[in-house]
Amino acid sequence: MAIACPVGFDVARLKDEVRQTYSAVAREPDGEFHFHRGPEYAARLLGYDLAELKSLPDTATAPFAGVGNPFLMDPLPDGASVLDVGSGAGMDCLLAARRVGKQGSVVGVDMTDEMLERARAGAREAGLPQVRFEKGDINRLPLEAQSIDVVISNGVFNLSPDKGGLFRELYRVVKPGGRLQFADITLEAELSEAARNDIDLWTG
Amino acid sequence: MIEALQQAGFHDVRACHFFDSFAGTNKERVAKKYGVRGTNFTAVK
Repeated sequence: MAIACPVGFDVARLKDEVRQTYSAVAREPDGEFHFHRGPEYAARLLGYDLAELKSLPDTATAPFAGVGNPFLMDPLPDGASVLDVGSGAGMDCLLAARRVGKQGSVVGVDMTDEMLERARAGAREAGLPQVRFEKGDINRLPLEAQSIDVVISNGVFNLSPDKGGLFRELYRVVKPGGRLQFADITLEAELSEAARNDIDLWTG
Repeated sequence: MIEALQQAGFHDVRACHFFDSFAGTNKERVAKKYGVRGTNFTAVK
């Protein structure tokens, strides 16, 4: 996977394309996209428990577009503080909130207004007050240093053109001894320069 | 990815699960060409 974007890459345009793509997913989860969405996909290809997903509000699960499953790794401890980077409509945040319980806290950070609206509505409907959502840029998280026990994320880091900066920012907010458990897309083959400059490949 | 996480200061960085996340999408052919898949990672500060 490329760690930094090519010289001259239009980062502002990339962010705008990402925002537009995921705003469209939030408005119309059943629309035509080149990636899967929804709870059936999450259960069939990623190992989520469909019965548990069906117990969550559709507003949170329908736009889910992750690429892996952070919950297959270590269990989230009771009372832990969890950050979901690029939380989208909030499905993983709601699952995390159930696991950490009412003594824990979950914050989802996303830059897309439509996704944040869905996520906040989903948390209210699910009755999980330990979850909150913040609008923000994942490379400049609106969080204090050393405030997070576990960072989760699902299919988001690949959208950042500055992964080194992103990982340094995650290191800042995680407590000593805390951890990351996240999913992202990876490549086995090196991309050509033309492919690395293709906005469609980044936004998908 | 692993190297970038280590450079940021994380240790015990591991890739631990793999997913055929693009199977059945209209990007499946491109995904197979480049070996694109979903991967679970863990890392410790």
